[in-house]
Amino acid sequence: MANILIVDDSSTMRKIISRSLRQAGLTVDEIYEAGDGIEGLQALAAGNKIDLVLSDINMPNMDGLEFIKQVRANGNAVPIVMITTEGGEEILKEAMSSGASDSIKKPFTPDQLQEKLGGLI
Amino acid sequence: MSLNPDIAASSKITEEQLASYVIDSTREVFTTMVMMDPNDDFPLKEPIHRFQCSITGMVGFAGTYSGVISIHCPVKLAMKITSSMLGMECDEINEDLNDAIGEIANMLGGNVKQVLSKGGLDVKLSIPTVISGEDYTVNSLSDSDCVVIPFSVEDSRFLVGLTLKKED
Repeated sequence: MANILIVDDSSTMRKIISRSLRQAGLTVDEIYEAGDGIEGLQALAAGNKIDLVLSDINMPNMDGLEFIKQVRANGNAVPIVMITTEGGEEILKEAMSSGASDSIKKPFTPDQLQEKLGGLI
Repeated sequence: MSLNPDIAASSKITEEQLASYVIDSTREVFTTMVMMDPNDDFPLKEPIHRFQCSITGMVGFAGTYSGVISIHCPVKLAMKITSSMLGMECDEINEDLNDAIGEIANMLGGNVKQVLSKGGLDVKLSIPTVISGEDYTVNSLSDSDCVVIPFSVEDSRFLVGLTLKKED
């Protein structure tokens, strides 16, 4: 069973991702939520065991790219998968070079989540 | 209402192609995330600026291109959309409803950005903005450079508009 942190400024999207994870049949235990990169860092620092992070890119206060850089700068190697509307090659290349494990483009289906995340949790 | 020829030429896409892309993107977002299958009624016969008992979600572009993509829909339809997206009843204008319409605009903006910016770094997307009210108007300063697509779903109608300007 995996604990997952969802970092997205849209509460609707956090709910949809949570529901889709369960619809995809992924073995999820606890789901933690954060509204931006700063809250995401706080959630990771809170001491909860997080097995996978799903993060948006386009967020206020601290975007997803800066969030990944900060996580890696803190020495945390947790897998981070970007779930984003930002499908441009250069942005995704920057995300991957900053330490992201993979990316999923919105809109997505539960099957696409299963395909991308099945091997990570 | 039409797409500026300069924009169409510089991005190597015609107004019809862009309209087709907006239609396909809207249908993809709705069938995948909203669990509804809207039909397009393009082209829009008359410009629409005034909205009553409606909600509008907008995301701006900045960079090589500037502009706004927007979705306008009646509040009653927005409640059905939100209920379907979240799998829970929504019968009032609340944070869930605003957030759902903003997120739809965000996903549409991301799709359009992919057409305008192959790499993704030369065009930035804004955070979504949502407005609603009993009677309001939405005007663009570059009104002639836009495409507006009417859609019908659930015995109701909503609009998706895209306004673009190529920056020097």
